[in-house]
Amino acid sequence: MIATLMTENDWAAHNVRRKNLGAHVLGVTAFAGGRISIHWLMPSGQIAEENWDMDGVEFPSLTVELPEVAWDEREIHDMFGYRPKGHPDLRALVRNPRWPDGFYPLAGPNAPSKPQWIEVAPNNPAQTVEGEGVTIMKVGPTHAGIIESGHFVFSIIGENILHVDLHLFQNHRGVEGQLQGRPIGSVWPLISRICGADTVSHQTNLAMAVEEMAGYQIPEEIQWQRILVLESERILSHLNDLAQIPAGVGFSVANQRALAMKERWQRGLEVIFGHRLLFDTVQAGKPLDVDIEALGTLIVELQREWRPWRSLVQGHHGFQDRMEGVGVVRQSDALRLGGQGIVARASGLTFDARQQMPLYEGWPLDYASETSGDVSSRFKVRLDEVEASWRLMERVLQRSRIHGALPVWEPPSDLAGQAVTFSESPHGLNAHIVAVDRGQVIRYHVRSGPFRNWPLLAKAVAGNAVGDFPLINKSFELCYSCLDR
Amino acid sequence: MALKGLKLVGKPIKALQLRHVDAGSCNGCEQELTALGNGFYDMQHFGIDVVASPRHADGLVVTGPVTDTMKRPLVQDWDAVPEPKWLIALGDCAAGCGVFQDAYACHGGVDGMRTPDLVISGCPPKPQDILQKIALWRKTLG
Ligand code: SF4
Repeated sequence: MIATLMTENDWAAHNVRRKNLGAHVLGVTAFAGGRISIHWLMPSGQIAEENWDMDGVEFPSLTVELPEVAWDEREIHDMFGYRPKGHPDLRALVRNPRWPDGFYPLAGPNAPSKPQWIEVAPNNPAQTVEGEGVTIMKVGPTHAGIIESGHFVFSIIGENILHVDLHLFQNHRGVEGQLQGRPIGSVWPLISRICGADTVSHQTNLAMAVEEMAGYQIPEEIQWQRILVLESERILSHLNDLAQIPAGVGFSVANQRALAMKERWQRGLEVIFGHRLLFDTVQAGKPLDVDIEALGTLIVELQREWRPWRSLVQGHHGFQDRMEGVGVVRQSDALRLGGQGIVARASGLTFDARQQMPLYEGWPLDYASETSGDVSSRFKVRLDEVEASWRLMERVLQRSRIHGALPVWEPPSDLAGQAVTFSESPHGLNAHIVAVDRGQVIRYHVRSGPFRNWPLLAKAVAGNAVGDFPLINKSFELCYSCLDR
Repeated sequence: MALKGLKLVGKPIKALQLRHVDAGSCNGCEQELTALGNGFYDMQHFGIDVVASPRHADGLVVTGPVTDTMKRPLVQDWDAVPEPKWLIALGDCAAGCGVFQDAYACHGGVDGMRTPDLVISGCPPKPQDILQKIALWRKTLG
């Protein structure tokens, strides 16, 4: 890790330079006591750290120069009370009118206790477009289907969306606060449940953080097992999202057949890894209990259903027409706002954090990328990634066939240090910034892929028909849970 | 023409229409609730469905530990369901024994609003278990 201490004048210049070198923000992390750290994933795979130590409660905002950190800075303002000086839009992001004055849950060293909430509605003021013929349509936070909670305020003219104001964080549980002060060995069930769709990625980040702090290197057989479970999760999540997109246009056959594939995959994963959604599978320094033969068979079985399904959806002109040109994310926006995962790769960017993860070193992997940035591209990238993951898994399985008993490592109980770890979750770059002292969590910051992609969704829907919002939304399929935490 | 009720293992049962409210879930429970609609479980076949409005519903199925922000919307949805109505807590979080219980922005499940009529525990409960629990519970409703 390369660390530098900032003077006020360098702060913007240093960080902008990182961005211009092609680096990705892993996280903007505030610490009780007045430090702001920005971690960058450099194209070389190295992690660079820039620190700002506050004198008082203000730090210079970078949002004008680096719009992708706009939400990070707003979140810090809400959670710590630190003020990003010069931020162009410092509305509440996580906070709402129910939060008592002076309640800054992460400002202290320990887990915050439950405050006395103010008995008012939780709604923050909405940003809308004013003018003749403009209608305001509010949706959520509860929805008409089985969907996570989020509140959207649309400004519409005729059929068209002019602007959507996102009111997320309805599911804010206070996980980062809950983690503070806990023995690091006891946080596994929580980390595993930050997000039901990206759980393995979160578990792997925690495992890598513990191992890194202790200076332990897992044997390569355990690395292979982690690749298998990470790719299994990617396929599970992609199958889910690939089922939801046809549902968004009423293409029930494609929806149902994809849901059936997802179910078969889940049933297989339950037998092979012990959980239908892969909760509680990865542990620091421990081998996974994985049935190699069964996994190989499961892949072959799924592929038998997959091939005709792929021909069905790709050969269906009506379905293809409905996806084309809808919900376009421009490449320049994806770059500017730090878009991640499929959203970025469908807009002509090629970044996939697996390229930088030591875990995947030496394994050939086909990276999918499309250029039109619309629903159709996001659908296509997922199709290609499912197949690429299967190819990779088959290679890994081949090599994993024979191995003896694997060592089991126990992390020390007095673990101390700071680690920044990352992985490519099904929803993009997922980073954990973890600080531990004498075995207890001092700070646990989670920055998942959806965090950077939500602002891009708002951009992508503007100019589209309001009736296409569900389709566009499903093509992003961003989790609320690992955003809200 | 009124249907007298569908047959499930020989017993007459009534349809059950539910409105889903996510009150802070990790989306694991949602995924398994969604799975009930796939061809393997086919909940509609048993007269169970998730409907678009609380006004069309016989009750709520709630997931998540009830975050402070979702507390009011949850109560509003509950109030919008016509009587008689039922409350189902799906998953350990909603049941008040999940992992987020002591987080500062959680109210510890649906119990703070009203004691649920049915608790389906699990993290998340498996689709088969959800169906089974609902079927057994419906028998007790007479
Ligand atoms: S019970 Fe488990 S699966 Fe369900 S919302 Fe809670 S943590 Fe997620």
